[in-house]
Amino acid sequence: MSTSPEAVDDATDDATDDATDALKPDDVVVDTVVHQAPRDVANAPKLLEVEHLVKHFAVREVRGLSMLRSSVKAVDDISFVVREGESLGLVGESGCGKSTTSRLITRLEDPTSGAIRFRGQDMALMKEKELRPLRREVQMIFQDPYSSLNPRQTVGTILRTPLDVHGLAKGREKARTKELLELVGLNPEHINRYPSEFSGGQRQRIGIARALAVEPRLIIADEPVSALDVSIQAQVMNLLARLREELNLSFLFIAHDLGVIRHFCDSIAVMYLGKIVEKGWKRDIYSAPQHPYTQALLSAAPDINVVRGVPPRERIRLKGDPPSPIDPPSGCRFRTRCWKAQDICAKVEPPLELKESSGLDQVIACHFPEVKTSLVAEVS
Amino acid sequence: MSTGTSPSGASIRDRVGSAGDVVLKVEDLSVRFASDEGPVNAVQNLSYEARLGRTLAVVGESGSGKSVSSMTLLGLHNPKRTTITGSITLDGTELVGASEETMRGLRSSSVAMVFQDPQSSLHPFFKVGKQIAEAYRAHHHVSAAVANTRAVEMLERVGIPNPARRAKQYPHEFSGGMRQRAMIALGLVNDPKLLVADEPTTALDVTVQAQILDLIKDLQQEFGSAVILITHDLAVVAEVADDILVMYAGRAVEKGLAKHVLSQPNHPYTMGLLESVPSASEEVQELRAIRGAPPSLVYLPSGCSFHPRCDYQDQVPGERCVTELPELRILPNGRQIRCHLVDPERVLSQETSR
Repeated sequence: MSTSPEAVDDATDDATDDATDALKPDDVVVDTVVHQAPRDVANAPKLLEVEHLVKHFAVREVRGLSMLRSSVKAVDDISFVVREGESLGLVGESGCGKSTTSRLITRLEDPTSGAIRFRGQDMALMKEKELRPLRREVQMIFQDPYSSLNPRQTVGTILRTPLDVHGLAKGREKARTKELLELVGLNPEHINRYPSEFSGGQRQRIGIARALAVEPRLIIADEPVSALDVSIQAQVMNLLARLREELNLSFLFIAHDLGVIRHFCDSIAVMYLGKIVEKGWKRDIYSAPQHPYTQALLSAAPDINVVRGVPPRERIRLKGDPPSPIDPPSGCRFRTRCWKAQDICAKVEPPLELKESSGLDQVIACHFPEVKTSLVAEVS
Repeated sequence: MSTGTSPSGASIRDRVGSAGDVVLKVEDLSVRFASDEGPVNAVQNLSYEARLGRTLAVVGESGSGKSVSSMTLLGLHNPKRTTITGSITLDGTELVGASEETMRGLRSSSVAMVFQDPQSSLHPFFKVGKQIAEAYRAHHHVSAAVANTRAVEMLERVGIPNPARRAKQYPHEFSGGMRQRAMIALGLVNDPKLLVADEPTTALDVTVQAQILDLIKDLQQEFGSAVILITHDLAVVAEVADDILVMYAGRAVEKGLAKHVLSQPNHPYTMGLLESVPSASEEVQELRAIRGAPPSLVYLPSGCSFHPRCDYQDQVPGERCVTELPELRILPNGRQIRCHLVDPERVLSQETSR
């Protein structure tokens, strides 16, 4: 219970400048005014390319004397690109495969098939030894700041382990761990404390510091703020935004909260039952969603601005829950909950493609796309 | 039920109230637990009312006392470890100090609760229909067959397809959204005047959350009961609540109409919360987070509990925020706040337009 808000605040502002000097890679010029500059991620070089990624988990079900073998199609042929400096948001409901995707990219799970190219190198089939240098480049921030830190290790040890593994900051490990604590707005004097002595928000900062210890280029953040209190969520979101600018990080940002995604991401991929159903730039997805599922998600998300005199938006309510990924519907997987479904939807799986007629940039997988602009009431 | 011709014939429309009547009155409620570190002041001097046909949202972060105060309504605390003072009157009956028999008579018939996690609040060994029927028979002298019919009716009413078959299934055969519907059916089977929903949609997906919120709204219209919605999600409050009570560190800090409080908060904490939430319909450069973290309920700060995190202390003369606990006072606009700021509306609105 040693929550010390003062320490957090003091460190947040003045500590960052020195700390980032030590952390920034040589080839990146950290500009302090980039906060305002629009990012041109559309033309940046590709950092991560995921192509036709598939992950099926085998499941066995015993029925009487016979055993049925089937598979959960957690991720079923998805492709996307994350460019340098880009933050790609992955949205969807539970069971849609967004967390599996993150575990595949970090190779915590082995993909069934497909390619995961990081700077052109395919890491989908790499052996652990080849993978190690790439693990330095791709780091993960977890959802639960309680279970993702070892309760028996001090913060110093937690942050030092990745340095030792990758042989970084030799001889000045302790100084480096203190820098990392300052970088995430924690008091470096707390280096000998245990995770239980920190609040949830502070623990999440420790998790972030651990990810940054090895100077990664790409951060996979799996629901990084959803376990935190509202007032702490904003602190952590702001910290991530600042680190992103200062260290020129790229993000694969997984969340179910459409407000959080809109705040943090440049582009968005919407997943449903292991498939990407719509993908595009943030402004297109929010202002002119084309896939019925995206439209339903946006319409269902409660919005605080309804009390602030924004015009009422179109109301779409889906029936039921998402079906099981063990036995997904034939054709379009969304058809069982879709109000537009017709015979073709059960027979032909719609490809993820650009619909020229819409005049918009996003790709969608639907036989009957239609642009809806009234789902998010924009605050003027 | 809505027609008053339930199969039992026990048409329990003995409800004399009409919309707007006070069902629940909480006055000066304080709840304290013993802990190793010392007494935990979970709730202090809390007063509020719930009215028929209206939804009151109780909002706060973890440790704000929002769940503790509602558990007290159902007598779900451990009496050996808990000290409760003040008064809770439910439909004329005093609950503080009431016997277990009295509480048992009120639970489900006058007040029912829907919990966050429907997985752990339904009994895994009993069929869903049986659980609902059991709750009905606890308050009505009817045969098992009549109670079962009633259970199926309720499942149908909360939008469960094929209710007769579903009633014979176990909770694990239900999906998360279905389970929460079944919980609501269980809560409403005895037509209580007050439904307490503690984070009812937090564990659910966005599209299912929308269904459940719609269902609670519809049922409230139909049954005319009072609803207390406990949540941390201000967007949910904006969509469904009539009244709002914002809690911080065990105390009420702002009370008023939800629409007014959320569009123009008068307490710095409420305003901080609102600015911390990124909206799906708006883009801001940077979220204005509240600094620091909520205090421990064992070691509350002196004066106003929010002062270590508040940006407006300098607007109050002297050190009052640090030394003196502000009273919950009524502003000219009818809003109640616990803050020393003389004209919070002006101070906070300047801040927003800055």
